[in-house]
Amino acid sequence: MRRAFIVVWKDLLVERRSKETLNALFFFALLLLFIFQFSLGPDRERLAGTLPGLLWLAFILSGLLGLGRTFVVERENDCWEGLLLSPGDKSAIYVGKLAGNLLLMLVVEAILLVLFTFFFNLDLGGALPALAVVIGLGTVAFAAVGTLFAAMTAQVRARELLFPVLLLPVQAPVLLATVKATEAVLLGEPLGSVAHWLKLLAAADVVYVAVGVLTFDFVLEG
Amino acid sequence: MTRLVGGVTLAALAAGLVMGFGIAPREATQGNVQRIMYLHVPSVWVAYLAFAVVLVASIAYLIRRAEAADRLAHASAEVGVLFTGLTIATGSIWGKPTWGTWWTWDARLTSVAILFVMYLGYLLLRGMIEDRERGARFAAVLGIVAAFNIPLVHFSVYWWRTLHQPPSLMKPGPGTMPGIIVTALLVNFVAFSLLYVYFVARRARLLRREAEAAG
Amino acid sequence: MPDNWGFVLAAYGLAAGVLLAYWRFLARRERDLRGAAERNRIAPVSGHPGPEPASRTPRA
Repeated sequence: MRRAFIVVWKDLLVERRSKETLNALFFFALLLLFIFQFSLGPDRERLAGTLPGLLWLAFILSGLLGLGRTFVVERENDCWEGLLLSPGDKSAIYVGKLAGNLLLMLVVEAILLVLFTFFFNLDLGGALPALAVVIGLGTVAFAAVGTLFAAMTAQVRARELLFPVLLLPVQAPVLLATVKATEAVLLGEPLGSVAHWLKLLAAADVVYVAVGVLTFDFVLEG
Repeated sequence: MTRLVGGVTLAALAAGLVMGFGIAPREATQGNVQRIMYLHVPSVWVAYLAFAVVLVASIAYLIRRAEAADRLAHASAEVGVLFTGLTIATGSIWGKPTWGTWWTWDARLTSVAILFVMYLGYLLLRGMIEDRERGARFAAVLGIVAAFNIPLVHFSVYWWRTLHQPPSLMKPGPGTMPGIIVTALLVNFVAFSLLYVYFVARRARLLRREAEAAG
Repeated sequence: MPDNWGFVLAAYGLAAGVLLAYWRFLARRERDLRGAAERNRIAPVSGHPGPEPASRTPRA
């Protein structure tokens, strides 16, 4: 467990010094918002209807960008062998990377939420805690599989292509659940009304993290 | 041995056709178009069977590192994608005259479409890794993730389609179908399952020969 | 309701076509492999002497 913390701390330090990922993602998020506005803005009603979907689209696209780079930092700086040679259970590395990615995604999502509220005049009001739960559960699922697949595709030729191609179909049910739940929550409905979606997300989280922990060793060999 | 299976498969397929066209009656509401069911439903069953085998073979490979398990997973995934594609195609062709549209986001078609793309990605991953051992490992991990994802896909899509919308015109479940139709369906189930075994056996054998040739 | 035999034929035809194509793909690949193996035995790439005729492995 301590090793997991070390990994998170290392990534956070690297990020704090370079800020390159966060900056890039911030600008990307801004760009997405402009595009959404240009393509859907004129039709106010349709925009309101698609807002939950757009929000998660923004989360996913930023996530793809950010997660795809998780292990590239190690490969670019010749630290990859260091990862492979570290003694003992490699799943600590997975947990550490997962935590780091989770943090990064949550920060970006928070920024996006603020931007959305600002640009599209969202009235979050009392929905914020419920929304936070939905976003939290969904992001864990995305980060769990994303971290695993990122480790895989980092070692493959066409990684920028393969990573989203592998990740997105797997995330389809999670995306369905989060969008439907967000939709309900933004309409002011209580969390209880989307309990089934939340249970699905929780189940997904457990399954994905468990599989990730159990199979990460096999991904990082050799 | 494979030839024997092949022969039996051919006979079973012929029997399936006879049942589907000769013996099974013309359906009351849909007409003869309903006979596509004898293709569509066994196909989706074979697809699920194939992906279940991929899961087991993938786990077996990671635990024992047996090349045979890896070849089984690869072959089964390929045949599975084949039948998944067939399921979508036949479902679409069936849907056009009965529902008036080539595609609809109903529960079954959507689930199968997601399945199709997931395992297509599996094959893509295999194709893009030159190192055989790494390809086997990664594919095994992906095979496991994809298989555990299947129930999640099912529930999410089913809830999405039924909780806020009236259920679409789905074909009646086995419980409400007349006996002779169920029998015809079962014969086709068996035929398609045999076809699956035959294809996987040959494909796995081909993989083994290719590996031996590469030395 | 009209019978739409055209669609039935299309579905069965497509299925038959796809399955047949896959079967032929398997057969062709095996044939190519077998051909390459034969050529290797007659004129081996590695330069080692080929096996005597009596030691040919039986066909599956």
